[in-house]
Amino acid sequence: MALPQEAYQALEDIVGAENVSNDAAVLDSYAFQWLADLVRPNLSHYMPRPVAVVMPGSTEEVQAIVRLANKYKVKVKPHGTGWYHWAAPIYDDRDSLQLDMRRMNKIEIDEKNGIAIVEPYVIHAQMHAEAIKRGWSCTIIGAGCSCSVIAAACAYSGIGPGTFWMGGQAENVLGMEWVAPNGEIVRSGSLGSGDGWFCSEGPGPSVRGIMRGSLGARGGLGVYTKCAVKLVHWPGSTDWPVQGTIPAYRLPLDETFRAYTLAVPSWEAWADAYYKIYDNEIGYIFHRQFNLAGADLAPTFWLMYNDHTKTLGDVPDMIKQPGMAELTEEMRISFQLVMAGRSVADIELQDKVLDRILEEVGGWKVERYCEKDMAEFTNIYLNRLGHKHINFVWVGGYIGSWMQPGTPDWVKEYVPTAIAGLERDAKDGLLVQCGGDAMMGTGGAYPGGGVMGLEQFVSYDPNDEASTRAGIKHMEDAVTDAASIGYPPGKEALYLEMGHSDDRTFKKWANAKQPFAFIFQRKIKEHFDPNDLGDRMYNYIPEEYEPAKKA
Amino acid sequence: MKQDLIGVVGEDNVLDDQASLGSYGRDESFVLPIKPRFVVRPGSEDEVQALVVWANETLRPLVPVSSGGPHFYGDTVPSVPGAVMVDLSRLNKIRRIDRRNRIVVIEPGVTYAQLQPELAKEGMRVTPPLFPRANKSVVASLLERQPTLIPRYNYALPEPLRNCGVIWGDGQKFFTGESGHGPLDLEQQWAAGLRQVDPKGPAQTDFFRLLTGAQGTLGIVIWASVKCELLADPKKTLFVPADTLDDLVDLSYRLTRLRVGDELFLVNSSYLATLVAGDAAEIPALKEALPPWTLVIGVGGRALLPEERMAVAEKDITAEVAARGLRLLGAAPGLATTRVEAVLDGLAGEPHWKLRYKGGVQDIFFHTTLENAPGFLSTMMSTAQAHTYPTGDVGVYLQPQHQGVSYHCEFSLPYDPTDAHETANLKALFSKAGERLIGQGAYFSRPYGEWADLVYNRDAQSTAALRAVKSILDPNNVLNPSKLCF
Amino acid sequence: MALEEFRADAMRCTRCSYCKWIPFDLVKSWEFSKGCPSVDYNNFHSYSGGGRLITMLSLMDGRSEVNDRVVDIAYKCQLCGNCDITCKVCRYDMNVLDALREFRRTLNEQGQVPVAYPGIIAKLRESGNMIGAPQQRRASWADGLGLKQLGVDGVDKAEVVFHAGCRYSFDPSLRSAVRAAATVLTKAGCDFALDGAEGCCGGKAYDMGYRDDFAAVAKANLERWAAAGVKKVVTPCATCYYTFKRLYPEVGSTIEVLHTVECADRRIKDGSLKLTRPVPVTVTYHDPCHLGRQGEPHVPWDGKEVKIYGQAVVYDPPRPRYIGAYGVYDPPRDVLEAIPGLELVEMERSREAAWCCGAGGSVREAYPEFNAWTAGKRIEEAGSTGAEILATACPGCEKNFAEAVSASGTKMKVLDVLELVEQAL
Repeated sequence: MALPQEAYQALEDIVGAENVSNDAAVLDSYAFQWLADLVRPNLSHYMPRPVAVVMPGSTEEVQAIVRLANKYKVKVKPHGTGWYHWAAPIYDDRDSLQLDMRRMNKIEIDEKNGIAIVEPYVIHAQMHAEAIKRGWSCTIIGAGCSCSVIAAACAYSGIGPGTFWMGGQAENVLGMEWVAPNGEIVRSGSLGSGDGWFCSEGPGPSVRGIMRGSLGARGGLGVYTKCAVKLVHWPGSTDWPVQGTIPAYRLPLDETFRAYTLAVPSWEAWADAYYKIYDNEIGYIFHRQFNLAGADLAPTFWLMYNDHTKTLGDVPDMIKQPGMAELTEEMRISFQLVMAGRSVADIELQDKVLDRILEEVGGWKVERYCEKDMAEFTNIYLNRLGHKHINFVWVGGYIGSWMQPGTPDWVKEYVPTAIAGLERDAKDGLLVQCGGDAMMGTGGAYPGGGVMGLEQFVSYDPNDEASTRAGIKHMEDAVTDAASIGYPPGKEALYLEMGHSDDRTFKKWANAKQPFAFIFQRKIKEHFDPNDLGDRMYNYIPEEYEPAKKA
Repeated sequence: MKQDLIGVVGEDNVLDDQASLGSYGRDESFVLPIKPRFVVRPGSEDEVQALVVWANETLRPLVPVSSGGPHFYGDTVPSVPGAVMVDLSRLNKIRRIDRRNRIVVIEPGVTYAQLQPELAKEGMRVTPPLFPRANKSVVASLLERQPTLIPRYNYALPEPLRNCGVIWGDGQKFFTGESGHGPLDLEQQWAAGLRQVDPKGPAQTDFFRLLTGAQGTLGIVIWASVKCELLADPKKTLFVPADTLDDLVDLSYRLTRLRVGDELFLVNSSYLATLVAGDAAEIPALKEALPPWTLVIGVGGRALLPEERMAVAEKDITAEVAARGLRLLGAAPGLATTRVEAVLDGLAGEPHWKLRYKGGVQDIFFHTTLENAPGFLSTMMSTAQAHTYPTGDVGVYLQPQHQGVSYHCEFSLPYDPTDAHETANLKALFSKAGERLIGQGAYFSRPYGEWADLVYNRDAQSTAALRAVKSILDPNNVLNPSKLCF
Repeated sequence: MALEEFRADAMRCTRCSYCKWIPFDLVKSWEFSKGCPSVDYNNFHSYSGGGRLITMLSLMDGRSEVNDRVVDIAYKCQLCGNCDITCKVCRYDMNVLDALREFRRTLNEQGQVPVAYPGIIAKLRESGNMIGAPQQRRASWADGLGLKQLGVDGVDKAEVVFHAGCRYSFDPSLRSAVRAAATVLTKAGCDFALDGAEGCCGGKAYDMGYRDDFAAVAKANLERWAAAGVKKVVTPCATCYYTFKRLYPEVGSTIEVLHTVECADRRIKDGSLKLTRPVPVTVTYHDPCHLGRQGEPHVPWDGKEVKIYGQAVVYDPPRPRYIGAYGVYDPPRDVLEAIPGLELVEMERSREAAWCCGAGGSVREAYPEFNAWTAGKRIEEAGSTGAEILATACPGCEKNFAEAVSASGTKMKVLDVLELVEQAL
């Protein structure tokens, strides 16, 4: 597979020779992906290699590249920071360009209206920092601040710890600029009318409705080149006065901030607590975050992490220290809540309300984690979300399973099965044994709360075949376990899907409860992508897979 | 044809008398009145689906309508002759009220008058738009993206609309949002603990977003789940008077940014007077008595410690108001507070409050950021002057939306529709103002009537995209044809 | 060591891209969020720490071969260590910087080096220093200071040696800085001698992948110092500091190593160095990579990977982290703040998050445009603080910054910390 020389030359003409490469080693730095080993033949860490990687510097260059791709019938796969195996090409037998959007990295902040306008390589950390300087803040997606804002808003999920109060990027996104695979530039809402970035809806029916739904196209249908998202008020210090020693930095709590770890005695109480938090509208960042290290180990792990003289190897000793067993049990069903009052009176009221909620559900503040050091760590951790590579801390491999989204009442029903499943799958030591409950999840996957999910953090060694195979088996088991209690597959199904053939995947979608969603998307694809430059990351079913229409 | 329709909905539910056809065939707007051929009133989802299937077989245009009149924007007036009105008012069941998840599932014929008291029994309500009429369909209001009163609950412009059951223009039934993952039966979903909360999807399309603002051109919604707010108790309404709109801009930005308070909107004296007046005779005096501009802000307490919650909100609002040299009052000068509360908490009776002053009204409304609103106001006023329309009659309503990022900006132009000269003048003013405002950057996100041409001509790619959507969802163009860009 | 020693690191890389940025908690702006000059300049993912791991893996897996591009990827990197520490913010099992060095060593052994390298190493081999100047002139920077020299005038023993380093020895534009360092220490009452046979520390050779050259030079230095009874080496050069402190123990050194700013700091704090003259300037301090991030104490380790909790990777015995927590950050700052009238302002990227001056990893010699670009970025950042003076503690940084200041036309001055101390005496 190779790009015709004249096509390669044309790419050089568009972006400059220094911004395109077809060198094997360079291409492999794009083909290599986390999660590839779970879905590729022979546990390969490489997704299919692109025929070239090209880095456009402007929307015009993107459009020119797409037009070229139409001419040469080469697929186009864009990515932001490229952290997920679906960022790479997915077909071994079809030529694909990889668009690394790195050079498009500008940001503009409309301070008055609280809007950030970004290009694809602006990451949440940058947007957050620029917002904080101006007294604003922003939601940061669960995968952390290293990730592209546009990828979250336009191309994938957009949900994170801040979603409850700050919105997810799906709710926050305003104008979007999309270079469709047919080379046309479609702009949503007010942007399309040339009126600015501020309104994502309309005109009439919202064009953005075809740009993303529960998820975005994950690079499978065109290239997003700009978008705007709304910011949120930041009642804290605009200096961002970080303290502490690497790795565990701390952010002192401003007068109107609180950072708590809360715990409850049962999963029923957990659901009740969440509903009460929703009804009472307290909280700025609401997440069950620290449990990602596994309920058996997490309380010790985070204390270890906050001591820069310690390493992972200290956990086994630390966990045996006096008080640690009790702390572990105390935190068994716990979650984090950062509160930010707009005034002293407001935060004091939020505190009172929280105390009443805890009283009503029989919950408590975990004292050790609410002490100054851990509270300041929680404050910076959740506000900046710059430690999300800790998902991989144990040994570099992380699978997210479960996380079926629903109401807290609905989610709590799958908890016991998820816990039992991980305990079972980790029993032989081929996965990290951190307890059956390694579930992490946002307090609200939609602003105001109401839906959320819990994701098991399953750690395997990507450098060990047996461990990798155990990871794959866990994902398959999770699908089966969920089905056994009448629940749909979770996040692991999205990962596994990457290793399935088109045929298998199309058949699965054809068997969905509403195959029309995928038929609709095929027709949208036919309109915008007549030469099939995209891929099935934008889900669709070809006509021959459509279920027979009912008489 | 009539027999076909009777076969679907029953004889009592097919109307073809001139009076009925006439009332559906026109509204308060300037769109060309075109009578439908029939009015049908289906009583079930299956009947709605059967109608759409029939329409595809016979290529008859259908125009859905859910609310009682008066209608103002022309969306429910057929744009082509020979249409069949599909009046959904008989689909008026409240299917499920869920206090824990604060979700209500309703059919399109459910009105605010019907719904709010039922929700109140559970301590909830659906955040309303400004003073809706009693017979206004809740689903229709949400599908129209009518601005709602509490900016901090407006997480996205379609809020609080969540999931929908819809019959697409091609006759197939579909569930949007998380309900789209099935099973395709609400009772089964409820039995499985599913609650139709998340509006997104299914898959990578926000199908519900295609329905909002569509004026019934893509699908007929047969049920919708709606997020409820808790009723505030205690609550009160506060007022910030000002001489100019500019005086209130900074305060409005600040309050929406802080997410303090409940209802929040800005009105000029003309609009406020019209809103609260009992009858036309009151309006001139009220206009005189009221401050030129008022920022109205509700404060309330909900859930735990409601009194304290209200007190803290009021305290914080007071500080912000004072910091800007403005006054925060417990009543609008010249106005009893109860009148405003009746508007915020109640439902408009008849005649519709917008029509009380002169019998007719034309509204011009669009989306903008607040800082640009004074500029648009200036354009509206100069255009009014140029058309010898009394600028003192121009009502202005600014509703912060999307937690303050954008504002619904509305100019309300009362007039006497029985006066041919006044009507002709207003028509010219209406068109001219629309043109000038669009040219100035006003975003007509809800392009009713003649705005549709202006809006879609500005945005070729969106037009092409929407036409592609239309060709998929309503390939035979049976739903409200010749509206929007199809 | 071989590339395969780092297969696990490569296989366990998650492609998270943390290696491209400074630690995220420290980001205060869009502009100063970037941590890796190499990927910022070259853009392709291969040019990041993680990207290089993948490149190594691709070679190991036989999926690609060494070519000009691979050489470019391996060597167009200052080895500044930002990627190493930002990876370690979340990982206890990755050693990116060691992997990058191994990458170079492997390619070097195959003769795959940048075009400029043979010329650079020839200087060391032929003249005994990295400048290619006559060794006999090495100590001429100290003319007139009256300093003792081992091997001269009967001085054959010294507990403390002042090692100037190649650049300070031979670059006339840096003379005042090295002279200031020696002067300040003398004024503080430090008893030290120059090494009359001072040779290159070998650090650059090590980084370039010429391990045998490094070993030979290190051996010679250590033998010479052992013969002279040297127990402590003090140096004003951050690269030499790093080399002696972190690389020499790997070849058996037990010599104590101090940077001159550390000495000055101690002497100020114990009262033997008194700073009395006001120096009313605004200064921003640049942390040299080899003194800051990479200036942590050496911890000997010879252990293995073991697994706990099934698959969690730890080390037996515990492996030192080298996350940049214990670099020499406070002493230069304490020294500057002890100068009367001096106002210290910080750049956003400071301490472990400092942006490289550009010179490291022999980039200055091998990729002059990239070097100049990197330094220019730092000058911009320094300028953004409003400081009149950019102070640092490394001749490589000082040289680079002086050239970048000149190219940019800014009025900012570049000085060594001890030059400012000297002004305060």
